Amino acid sequence: MELFERNACDLSEMIKSRKISSKELTESVFGRIKAVEGKVDAYLTLDKENALKKAEEVDAKIAAGEELSPLAGIPMGIKDNISTKGLKTTCASKMLYNYVPPFNATVMNKLESNDVVVTGKLNMDEFAMGSSTENSHFKPTRNPFDTDRIPGGSSGGSAAAVAACEAIVSLGSDTGGSIRQPASYCGVVGLKPTYGSVSRYGLVAFASSLDQIGPLGRCVKDVAMVQSAIAGHDRYDATSAYREYPDFSAALNADVKGLKIGVPKEYFGDGIDPFVKQSVMNAVKELERLGATVKEISLPSTDYALSSYYIISSAEASSNLARFDGVRYGFRAEDYDGLVDMYERSRSEGFGDEVKRRIMLGTFVLSSGFYDAYYKKAKLLQRRIQQEFSDQFADVDIIATPTVPTTAFKIGQNTDDPLKMYATDICTVTVNIAGLPAISIPCAYDDKGLPVGIQLIGGKFTEQRLLNSAYAFEQLVGGFKKPQL
Amino acid sequence: MNIDIKHIAKLARLHIEDDQLEKFESEMQNIVDMVEKMPDIEDEMTLDPSNPMRLREDKAVQDKFTRQELMQNAPQVKAGCLVVPKTVE
Repeated sequence: MELFERNACDLSEMIKSRKISSKELTESVFGRIKAVEGKVDAYLTLDKENALKKAEEVDAKIAAGEELSPLAGIPMGIKDNISTKGLKTTCASKMLYNYVPPFNATVMNKLESNDVVVTGKLNMDEFAMGSSTENSHFKPTRNPFDTDRIPGGSSGGSAAAVAACEAIVSLGSDTGGSIRQPASYCGVVGLKPTYGSVSRYGLVAFASSLDQIGPLGRCVKDVAMVQSAIAGHDRYDATSAYREYPDFSAALNADVKGLKIGVPKEYFGDGIDPFVKQSVMNAVKELERLGATVKEISLPSTDYALSSYYIISSAEASSNLARFDGVRYGFRAEDYDGLVDMYERSRSEGFGDEVKRRIMLGTFVLSSGFYDAYYKKAKLLQRRIQQEFSDQFADVDIIATPTVPTTAFKIGQNTDDPLKMYATDICTVTVNIAGLPAISIPCAYDDKGLPVGIQLIGGKFTEQRLLNSAYAFEQLVGGFKKPQL
Repeated sequence: MNIDIKHIAKLARLHIEDDQLEKFESEMQNIVDMVEKMPDIEDEMTLDPSNPMRLREDKAVQDKFTRQELMQNAPQVKAGCLVVPKTVE
């Protein structure tokens, strides 16, 4: 088995016991990138020089007998909307094609103090708006299980890189499903943490009340390790929760005896592919066999979640993206006539169609005369959806649903129909609306070999229970299977 | 409902080409149709009592960045200032 194929938890032991060096591992991962990146296109920027330098530093620390974090020396890829000091951060947009942050996101400082080796920056839908990574200004990323298909999005690069073994683990961000949906399409594990548990400082804002950074990996334990490293209160993020978090990976426990699982009927409707439905139900039965109890539940407002999501997220996006004006950073149009024309031309030439569409929708729903009919209604619906979840969590411990209605679709298949593209997020947006944690793990493969994911949703700050349930399932059924590339 | 794409574009500081107007209009209309299926809720907006916000002290923090660092990404800089088109005639 090659080093790049191994999981972070194994590699961590190997590095610690000096069976391998971080440098060997990092070289193995960059060798893999060289071999398959041409087929996958997961990365926007590679940072081999600094990665090797960091790996050598870690090796020197270990040789000197220093006690290091379990993530020390592990190569990790970072979604390109997370600010990395001195390393280009483009959000896959022409608007930020040359932007080099003068500061690190809080998560990057945390990873640095954990001695993580950063391989580079990963492709995504422009400003995280999209579900297929086709909205990247630079290039589409391809699904390692079938390179004619999309990897999902918006963290498509983060999921594809991990699935193709071009990174051991990665960071993504999730506003409406952007970690879990690509994790499902690419057969990897992806965790969207509770809103407020991971600092958003330095994450280029899309919809601030929904955005959350989270980990992707090839096994539950790896995801737990990364989550432990990035969670925590941060005074630079006013929405950050004042809490202490356990070491999720050390506390992993596959015992699900007595776990109460809710299965909401609204997530198994006509829009869900029968094979996906069946696979998720089989997975739930496996957990039942391990001692969990299963109960059908109802979350009646689910049908309205997507509308509520698009209003809230677009409204916030239209405001957040107002900062891109061609003055302080980013793209500025070459020809313009006065200040306002410079704003308009820079923004029109710098943003892609989907970003413009969302800014326009957000501007519309917030504009005079429409606020009550749209934004206010969406916020009230949000509260109703939150209430429905919390009522259910009085009765069940976790909720199991499909992550996505289908397996990965073909590149170009949905690009002309925004609503069809939006519908791929139908099972994931509710979680962001309610601020809950959720994890997607691979649970089956269809007749074309494409992965299917199951989503487990928990109450606020119940990441440990979610990870334990996912871990139990993985121990019993097995998780990631390496694609043929 | 008629969506005035030109007006919204102006508010959003976006320039939409004439031949794109129709496409934007029909796409926006589809989204608005979806959104209009939302039920009416007779409820008041309130703050979430389980999530009180703790504001930081009203105190200047030490400067984390140098002027040069903050300007390094600007499209046009002259004599340590950002350059923009003339705003006052």
